[in-house]
Amino acid sequence: MSKVFTSPSGLSRRQLLKVGLFGTVVLASAGGIAIVAGRTDTAAAGFRQLRQSDLPMLRRIIPVILSGALPTGQPAAAVEEVLQALDNNLDRLSPSLNGQIMQLFDLLTLGVTRGPATGIWGQWEDASDEAVRNFLRRWEGSSLALLQQGQNALTNLILLACYSSPAAWPQCGYPGPPGI
Amino acid sequence: MTVRDTFAEGLKGNWQVTNASQLEQDLTIETDIAIVGSGAGGATSAEILSAAGFRVLLIEEGGLFTSSSFRMQEHEAYPALYQEGLGRMSKDGAITILQGRAVGGTTLVNWTSCFRTPEPTLAHWASEHGVRDHSSEELAPWFARMEERLGIAPWSLPPNANNDVLRRGCETLGLHHAPIRRNVRQCWNLGFCGLGCPTNAKQSMLVTSIPALLDRGGQLLYLARAERLALDGDRVSGLECVAMDDRCVEPTGRRIRVRARHYILAGGSINTPGLLLRSGAPDPHDRVGKRTFLHLTTFSWAQFDERINPFYGAPQSVYSDHFQWQDGVTGAMGYKLEVPPMQPGFSATVLGGTGVAHPQLMQQLPTSNMMIALLRDGFHPDSAEGTVQLRSDDSPVLDYRMTDYTWDGVRRSLMSMAEIQFAAGARSVIPVHNDAHPARSLAEARAMIEQLELRRFKIRLGSAHVMGGCAMGEDPRQAVTDSLGRHHHLENLSVHDGSLFPTSIGANPQLSIYAIAARLSSQLAERLTSQST
Repeated sequence: MSKVFTSPSGLSRRQLLKVGLFGTVVLASAGGIAIVAGRTDTAAAGFRQLRQSDLPMLRRIIPVILSGALPTGQPAAAVEEVLQALDNNLDRLSPSLNGQIMQLFDLLTLGVTRGPATGIWGQWEDASDEAVRNFLRRWEGSSLALLQQGQNALTNLILLACYSSPAAWPQCGYPGPPGI
Repeated sequence: MTVRDTFAEGLKGNWQVTNASQLEQDLTIETDIAIVGSGAGGATSAEILSAAGFRVLLIEEGGLFTSSSFRMQEHEAYPALYQEGLGRMSKDGAITILQGRAVGGTTLVNWTSCFRTPEPTLAHWASEHGVRDHSSEELAPWFARMEERLGIAPWSLPPNANNDVLRRGCETLGLHHAPIRRNVRQCWNLGFCGLGCPTNAKQSMLVTSIPALLDRGGQLLYLARAERLALDGDRVSGLECVAMDDRCVEPTGRRIRVRARHYILAGGSINTPGLLLRSGAPDPHDRVGKRTFLHLTTFSWAQFDERINPFYGAPQSVYSDHFQWQDGVTGAMGYKLEVPPMQPGFSATVLGGTGVAHPQLMQQLPTSNMMIALLRDGFHPDSAEGTVQLRSDDSPVLDYRMTDYTWDGVRRSLMSMAEIQFAAGARSVIPVHNDAHPARSLAEARAMIEQLELRRFKIRLGSAHVMGGCAMGEDPRQAVTDSLGRHHHLENLSVHDGSLFPTSIGANPQLSIYAIAARLSSQLAERLTSQST
């Protein structure tokens, strides 16, 4: 069972159903789709928290949020480093907050919710930078606090993961901590 | 030069320290006094009660990290040393809340700023909140004692360039500014206080009160979450703790039962009210968790032509209270101005936002300054305030509600900071808000700030000072404890942390917590001793 619609906290079924403009019928059926798809909470190989289904979405969103901030030499490798840092941070979050983030990722990746929620109707792999930017802007400017919060959380997670790591230091002129 | 890891050396001796994550079976501990939380309130209480001859058990939810593990790396420190793995936020996700969670509590990661509780705050508590015997005069010897204990003194080196922006701007405009007093000894002026002090210069509880407790035979139990007080009539009969895994995320399944003569809660605002709520402690007037405050914090970013390197040097050495009491104690919302240390992860997260503006600003980090305003919440009836609630998994969360009165303070604080930054010579100023752009002049900044849509998620809001939620006061209809920190309805339970404060402090709260906890603990020791004889 997908935990999107079972946990009473965070982006819960009740709150998701408030996202009425996307159509409650569609959202209410998403849990069913998840079961059919055999969705699990198992982490992807090489990760402790991120699941296989989260990775294509994050691999598209990370370079857009970090546009101009990632090293230009090997962008794919830089994105993977951010993913690892993000995974490490998620691994230490309280279970309640971790659950909320996973529910956010579910909303972004489940076939039935992704399109209505983000405007990205095809696969994440195929989403253009412009489409990703539009989705983030739309959530930021949404009248629904839930989507504003989702955009804020997604952006913060990625910024913290990127800039806390030594790989980002050259991008911001930070020489690193002094030797002692 | 190598730094002695004094705590690690102590562990090799005969200290009684238990890592609950490694327990292979359940444990029962009997003691005189059980203290929940090893931060400013808990550890100070532990040292004093231990010195008075009591057997003391200090219980900490977080892990044990000592100076040799502090490598000044944001990606290592944040997930390990902060509540909820740096994820702690207001319930709506709009306010990031920085609170420490490790042996030493927030004292391990705070920015070392020390202020005596402002006189107007104490007077307000006496007149409006029924707090007795907490005047500036009565507390003065306790402030002096803790200042001596923790090496609290004005910072004698020149401020770093980031702090000097605040000093210079205020000086130019004729606004109040003063040096900050810090709890450090032989400080190396590195600037990484928020990531754990690598040189043991910061006089946190890790290098002061906790070793003192352990040297006297006291006990420390860490990676143990205080889950529930067992109640028997008007007494606490026990404390149930769960052992946490080494990430401090999931319980291991092992339990620790603590039996003590007296129990002290010092887990900080949010966690202390949370424990009382989980325990179903008597609360006939529905006060537990109410009136929790944040020193809600706003941010203003500025670009300079010269190099500032705002990530190095003592993080906070200058403050301004010019706008703090300007309109009286209970007038328009006052605020204190300071600057934060600007390591890149922290700075980027404050900036937030998407698109190109963000990396462009981050690329100029070495020539940037950031100023913060700490809004003094809880003094006016229309102030924003928070309520601690329990999530479905019984973990505590703060529901903090903004008000128009507070939004007015937010807007004025952005104005004040922009003016000071320009007066200090900033090339451009950006109030940290998703719709803001770099303003090249004060007039442009003012016009922009006037128009900014102030709402959650559009503007960055933070807090590093959580206060209140178990207010002290003589009237049980208003307060959770009396002015001695004694629970109004449970006779062998006290609260000794920042959750006692009936309002926010109007200054960084650590010295207020040290001094009040020291005094309450000394009074408790006298009461317990006289009961024994």
